[in-house]
Amino acid sequence: MSSRSKLRGVCSAILCFIFAVGLFAGAVSPYSYAKQFRERPNAAPSASHWLGTDSLGRDLFARLAYGTRVSLLLAPAAALLSTLIAGVFGGLAGLLGGWCQRLILAAADLSMALPLLFVLLALRALLPLNISPVVSVMATFALLGLLGWPSSLRVVWAATKNLRNSDFLLLARATGCGRWRMIVRHVLPNLRPVLLAQFCISIPLFVLTEATLSMLGLGVMEPLPSWGNLLRGLEDLSAIGANPWRLSPLVLLALVVICFQLILPSQEETA
Amino acid sequence: MLVALCLLGGLMSASLVRLAPGYGVDERELDPRLSQASVEAIRNSHRHGSSLLSYYGQYLAGILHGDLGSSEWLHRPISSLIKERFPVTAKSVTLGVCLAWGLALGISLGSVYRRRLFLDIAGTLASGVLIALPAAVVAIFSVYFRAPAFLAISVVTFPKLFRYSRNLLAHAYAQPCVLAAQARGIGQTRILFCQVLPLAGPALFALLGVSLSMAFGAAIPIEALNDSPGVGQLAWQAALNRDLPLIMNLTLLITLITVTANSLASVANERISL
Repeated sequence: MSSRSKLRGVCSAILCFIFAVGLFAGAVSPYSYAKQFRERPNAAPSASHWLGTDSLGRDLFARLAYGTRVSLLLAPAAALLSTLIAGVFGGLAGLLGGWCQRLILAAADLSMALPLLFVLLALRALLPLNISPVVSVMATFALLGLLGWPSSLRVVWAATKNLRNSDFLLLARATGCGRWRMIVRHVLPNLRPVLLAQFCISIPLFVLTEATLSMLGLGVMEPLPSWGNLLRGLEDLSAIGANPWRLSPLVLLALVVICFQLILPSQEETA
Repeated sequence: MLVALCLLGGLMSASLVRLAPGYGVDERELDPRLSQASVEAIRNSHRHGSSLLSYYGQYLAGILHGDLGSSEWLHRPISSLIKERFPVTAKSVTLGVCLAWGLALGISLGSVYRRRLFLDIAGTLASGVLIALPAAVVAIFSVYFRAPAFLAISVVTFPKLFRYSRNLLAHAYAQPCVLAAQARGIGQTRILFCQVLPLAGPALFALLGVSLSMAFGAAIPIEALNDSPGVGQLAWQAALNRDLPLIMNLTLLITLITVTANSLASVANERISL
């Protein structure tokens, strides 16, 4: 077992553990994310509050666990949506070619020229600011999924185009293989590693974008926690020296993103 | 491409503004001091662009005359707001991107060309950690350490540039022509300028436009949290105040800059190839 494989194993185990904590946040944390202990604001870590409390007296560990659920379950959902869009349209462009390819690639080029954060702000501004927290979560991640496809589409298109010109597809066509059978039996299985890589690349990107949006007050709304709005506690950085446990959301976010970076296949492996 | 992008971007801007909830509603209509005739006059002034196409036509005609419309939140012409704020962002982004490129290329060349393992490990570790930080967190740290906005922009842009440039240079160094040149005993500097950079050049030029887009994107949280009066802060405030005409015009402006930078990079690349 190479050191790279070992590192990937460790990163996968860390990610699985964090996913499990987020998924079973209700069982792991003794309190709800919104429960206030008004007599104990800004409390230090103790046996009853493992990571202390925030300025409103809410248990930080409970908020971190529930925030992990929001960020780590919805970012993959958004990544799935964007990979699906990229897979369908990139695959169509690569397989059909001609005007269909030109149209889809022009749309991708146009979308890639638009700076993601500016477009996200513009589309988020279309929605009222005082929407319910659940709607804000859905809107944030739906927007990420709907806007994050162009770079993945280009990769899927290039892979599909290579497949279309491959010898085994030529052979399949020569033996009278139907179009759908060819797609299902030959094209999709060969595109699976590319789609999986694009899916994994999108997750940390969406987690980071959600964090930035929420820190700007345009992402997931309070009292629902997400890593982004938990990071808003960092705005008072002068208090961090005395309360270093407030850095826990940042440490967790950085750990997850680094783990995702390390489990991604390298360029040589993708090739 | 540029013209098509302008037209499509303009159509998108106009559509979003026109279809946004609350379009055409004027708070002044609720003022009890106004007479019925005045209220009707206000309503009539909004009816001119009632259909999407006529609104788009007016919008395009306005752009041709340098009129980008008016901010619904600040009640000021958008063109004057951009004139005021854009130089601040342009300066931060230019300095930030130059610094990030300098660092990324310097460390990449140091690790690949000079084969300094320490630089390679340090660059990879630094980019790995920095890439895991949201731009808004970098902005908060820059406020805490009183660092200028351009430094924060370079910190956000550097990791991606370093990864691409390092991989591109390493890939170029592994090409058979470079290996052959090394085997013939040609000097390292000559190999770098005559073999490696021409191979990696096109992809590095293509990164230029992308780095600008990344830097302008990073400018939003950095200027918003740094209280730097640039276009990024304006876009954030426009989003919070649901000022769609302003934010769409800003998006269009940044898109045009990105596309122009990409086109210029392509032209420069072609010239160098010739």
